[in-house]
Amino acid sequence: MSVASIKEEQGKIVIALEGDIDLENAGEVRKALLANLKQKKDLLIDLSAVSYIDSSGIASLVEGLQVARKQKNELSLVSVSARALRVLELARLDKVFAIHADVAAALAARP
Amino acid sequence: MTMTPSDSGALNFAATLARSFAASLNVDATVGQALASIIQLLETEAGSLFLLDDAGSMLVCRASVGPVKIDGLAVPMGQGIVGRAVAEDRLLVVENAYEDKNFFKAADAKSGFITRSILCAPMRVGDKLIGAVQVLNKRSGHPFDGIDGKDANMLQVMANAAALAISNARLADQLLEQERIKRELELASEIQRSLLPNEDDDLPICGINRPIREVSGDFYDYFELPDGTIAFALGDVSGKGMNAALLMAKTASLFRCLGKTIRDPARLLSILNREICETTSRGMFVTMVAGLYEPATGLLRFANAGHLPPLIKFPDHLYETVAPDAPPLGILRDMHFVDHEIDLKGGLFVAFSDGLTEFRYGDEELGVDGLNQLLEYAHDGPLRQRLEMVLAELDQGGWQAKDDLTLLAIDDRAAGKAWQRERVPAVAAPAEADFLFGLSFPADPSRLKMMRPALEAAAKACQFGEDEIQDLVLAAGEAIENIMIHAYGGQVKGEITLAVHRLPDGIMLRLRDFAPRVDAGKIEPRPLDEVRPGGLGTHFIRAIMDDASFIPLPDGEGNLLELVKRRKNATESAEATAVATAGGADSKGGN
Repeated sequence: MSVASIKEEQGKIVIALEGDIDLENAGEVRKALLANLKQKKDLLIDLSAVSYIDSSGIASLVEGLQVARKQKNELSLVSVSARALRVLELARLDKVFAIHADVAAALAARP
Repeated sequence: MTMTPSDSGALNFAATLARSFAASLNVDATVGQALASIIQLLETEAGSLFLLDDAGSMLVCRASVGPVKIDGLAVPMGQGIVGRAVAEDRLLVVENAYEDKNFFKAADAKSGFITRSILCAPMRVGDKLIGAVQVLNKRSGHPFDGIDGKDANMLQVMANAAALAISNARLADQLLEQERIKRELELASEIQRSLLPNEDDDLPICGINRPIREVSGDFYDYFELPDGTIAFALGDVSGKGMNAALLMAKTASLFRCLGKTIRDPARLLSILNREICETTSRGMFVTMVAGLYEPATGLLRFANAGHLPPLIKFPDHLYETVAPDAPPLGILRDMHFVDHEIDLKGGLFVAFSDGLTEFRYGDEELGVDGLNQLLEYAHDGPLRQRLEMVLAELDQGGWQAKDDLTLLAIDDRAAGKAWQRERVPAVAAPAEADFLFGLSFPADPSRLKMMRPALEAAAKACQFGEDEIQDLVLAAGEAIENIMIHAYGGQVKGEITLAVHRLPDGIMLRLRDFAPRVDAGKIEPRPLDEVRPGGLGTHFIRAIMDDASFIPLPDGEGNLLELVKRRKNATESAEATAVATAGGADSKGGN
C-alpha cells in the first residue's frame, strides 16, 4: 500500500503516502496524483510515513508537480521523512518542491 | 391367478407366489402383489399388509385392498389387532370385530365399511418379525375358520411366503442402494483426483495422495505462475467421509483460484480462513500449509495454519522447522497468519499429512524421525521416484496406514541450475573481495522489497554508517530497476543475479543479467537542471557509488555491472594517512 489516505482540508487535497515506494507501486502513486489533480485543486503530499522512495517514486511526484503547475495549481510536500528528504536532496529537487513542516503549516502558507 | 382354497391349491399357490416374488426386486410391488394374491385366494372383502418400521416400534400399512384404503396408517406395536398379532407373535382370529376391545372402529366409522370378522397373521423371516397381514370379512358372509382351521393355515402359509419375498426384495433394494453409493463414491473419488495437479516431471515439485477410503480429506496442489514461481499447498480436513471430502474440494478449489493472484501466503490463508468460516458447518476445520517457491533463487515463503511443520532438509543438516503459529482454517474468522521465508540452498522441503507420520507397525508409529530417516534413505534419483520409494519402504515393511496420506516435496537441488549459476561468477572477483551472499531472482519489481533487507544487512556487515547504508540500498535498487526496465524491457521472466562481496574498505555488488548487451557509453545521468521524470536512477547510482562500471563478459549473453562503494570514514582515514605520509615526506625532505 503506497497511498494511505486521501482527504480534503480547506479546499486542498491531502494525499498521504506510506511505506516503500519503488518501481512496483510508483504507478499507483502517479495514478492517485493525476486523478486528484483533475479536480483542479491544490495538492499536499504527506510523506511522513514514507520509509523508502526511489527514482520512480520521485518521478511520479515530478510529473504531478508539472501537471499541477500547468493547470495553475500548487503541489507541495509536507512532513517529509528524513529518508525521502535525503532522496530529494540527492536529486536536487528539494528546492524545486515547496516543502512544509506539516499540513497546518502548508495551509497557513496559503498566499 | 384363480384357485380354489383347497390345501393343495394353497400349497401350489404358495409355490407359484414364492417364485413370482423371488423375481420381484421391488419391495412396494412385492407387497402389493402379495396382498392381492392373499385376498384372492382367501376370497375376502378386504385386507391390508403392515410392515414394522426401522425402529421396530410402529407397524405401517404398506398396502390395502378393499373399499377402504388405509395405506400409510401407523399402528403402535401391541395395539389393535395387527399390533397384537405381531407383539404376541401369533395368528389371531376375530369372529366379531365389534366385540373385540382391540378392534379399531374409527376406520369403519369414517368409511362406512363394516368389519365383521378378521384373520391376522404375523410375518416372519427366520426369527425376525417383519410385520403382519390381515384379511377382513369372507365374501361368503361366513366367519373365518378357527385358529387351526383351513383359512388360518392358508393365511399363515401365505404370510410366510410373502415375508420371504419381501425380505428378498429388501435385500435386493439394499444391494441396489449399496451399488448406487459405491458408484457415487467412485465419482466423488474421480472428481477429487481431478483436483490434484497434473504431474509435471519438469518441475522440481511433486506430490502423492493416497486416500484410506474412496474419498479423501487430504489434498495438495501446485501450479507454476507466469514468472516461474510455483504456488503450492497441502491440507488436511478434519473428520472423514463425504463431509470432509466436500470441504476438501472447496478448500482446494479456493486455493487454486486465489493462489493465482495472491502472492502472499499468509494473506492467502487469511482470506481462505474467512471464506471457510463463513460457509462451513461448525466443528469442521482444515489444517494447511501454503507457499510460494522460486526455482530460480531457491527462496521459499510459506505460512502454516495449524498443520504439522514441514521438514526442511538442507544438503548437510535438517532444518529445525517452525511450529504452526496460527490455528487451522475455519475456527476463528479474523486470524493473522505469518509468512516464513527460507533459502532452500539446494535442499528439500517436505510437507505431509499426519497419515504419513501415523503409519503403524504394531504399537510403533513412524513419526517425524522415521520419515526423516526414510527421506535420508531415498535421497537419490528423480523426486517422484524418491517419494514412491518412501511409500514402497513402508508398504513392503508391513507398516499399516491408518488415515489418508499426502506428501508434497520440493527439491531445490533439481531446480538448481540458476542456483548454481549465481555461485559461479561470470568473472572472478578480485582476491581481496570476500563473498557475502548471492541471489538469483526474476526481473519482477515485486522482488525489490525483498532485496533491500538483504542489502542493508550486507552493508551493515561492511561497517557502513546508517545514512550510507540507506544510500547504498537506493543505488543498488536503481541499478536493479534499470535492468528490469532497460535490459529486459519489463519482462518479469528475465533473470538477474546479484553477488555481494565485502572489500577491505567497503562493498562490491555485481549485478548480472542475461539480456542483450547494453551500450555502456549511452548510459548517462540526466542533467539535473531539467525538472522532468525519468533518468534519475543513473544519477543516484553515480552520486552514491564510488565506482559503477560494466565488466566485459568473456563470452555468452548478458551484462555485468560492478558497483563499488567505499566507507566514508575509510576514505577519509586513507586520505588522512596519505596526507600524513606526504607531510612526513615533506618534512623529511625539508630536513
